[in-house]
Amino acid sequence: MVSPTIDPKLLEILVCPVTKQPLRYDAEAQELISDAAKLAYPIRDGIPIMLVDEARQLDAEPVPAKQ
Amino acid sequence: MENSFTVFDRRAVRLHRERAAHLGDGDFLLREVAEHLLDRLDDVRRRFPLALDLGCHTGQLARLLNGRGGIETLVQCDLAAAMVRGATGLRLAADEEALPFRDGAFDLVLSCLSLHWVNDLPGALIQARRALKPDGLFLAALFGTDTARELRASLMAAELEVEGGASPRVAPFADVRDAGDLLVRAGFALPVADSDTLTVSYADPLRLMADLRAMGETNAMRERRKTLTRRETLLRAAGLYRERYGGADGRVPATFEVVFLTAWAPAAGQQQPLRPGSAQHRLAAALGGNEIGSGVPADPGRR
Repeated sequence: MVSPTIDPKLLEILVCPVTKQPLRYDAEAQELISDAAKLAYPIRDGIPIMLVDEARQLDAEPVPAKQ
Repeated sequence: MENSFTVFDRRAVRLHRERAAHLGDGDFLLREVAEHLLDRLDDVRRRFPLALDLGCHTGQLARLLNGRGGIETLVQCDLAAAMVRGATGLRLAADEEALPFRDGAFDLVLSCLSLHWVNDLPGALIQARRALKPDGLFLAALFGTDTARELRASLMAAELEVEGGASPRVAPFADVRDAGDLLVRAGFALPVADSDTLTVSYADPLRLMADLRAMGETNAMRERRKTLTRRETLLRAAGLYRERYGGADGRVPATFEVVFLTAWAPAAGQQQPLRPGSAQHRLAAALGGNEIGSGVPADPGRR
């Protein structure tokens, strides 16, 4: 199965909701990474989940999605 | 941000919306209000190529859009990912209290019946304004103070009667009289706030409660009761609702007040209100009447 890709138009306008700094797109991990906040926001089924509650702490090990 | 002024439990708001995404069929009110909101967009002779639907539910607004407002790209976000999954545009999950968009990204921000669950409404408005380009349009609908007043009164009376105490059950809503000030405080220009009252006729008060659940509009106040409400209390509330508000046909009305907000991100060259006292012509002359002095001297800063 081809992993759903994120629309470049969306990438262009997204920033970290905490720091309002630009994000790095990790296509392999399907994450949007905020270096300033040390958070990785997951992309699930092509939908970026830009919620701090759902983000992975960058110092921590990758964890499976909650619930 | 959580302190003693935090009214809503945002995690509960999100859970209720996640659940509502799977219940479906309770969205007639949402579609009705979205239609009113888009009527206002029709009144604006401008094109908005890149727009945001803030709190998009399952995409009801987008389905009614039909190319109106010259929107070429619509970004849809909601606090609940399950809601967004039903949408079809550029989708994401986002919190109205912490928006993930760069400054000046959008030509238009639309929001239909989502901002009433926000704790920090001025903060959310500031974030929406920042996401707009200069001279971008903000157009929102949110529930006003009169919403579900029959239900609020019936539930409180029933709870007092059956359980000897009452807990907050219907959320506090925005007052249209404060809304204009809020927009100004959030840095918007040319703000307009007005409200419409919709009355929906229900066969039964319990049907109304089921519909509210299907819209994800269940109680998410932090001070809400965390235990299940006794069935007896709900039935008594439904009985009181029928007694107090029911019509001859046995149906009951439910009031929904919707506050519409229209405002623009400030820009140079935008029309500005004139300074008080700067008029070039007398109103009395235009009306052909006699002018009666107010006794207050004219603005000394004039001329």
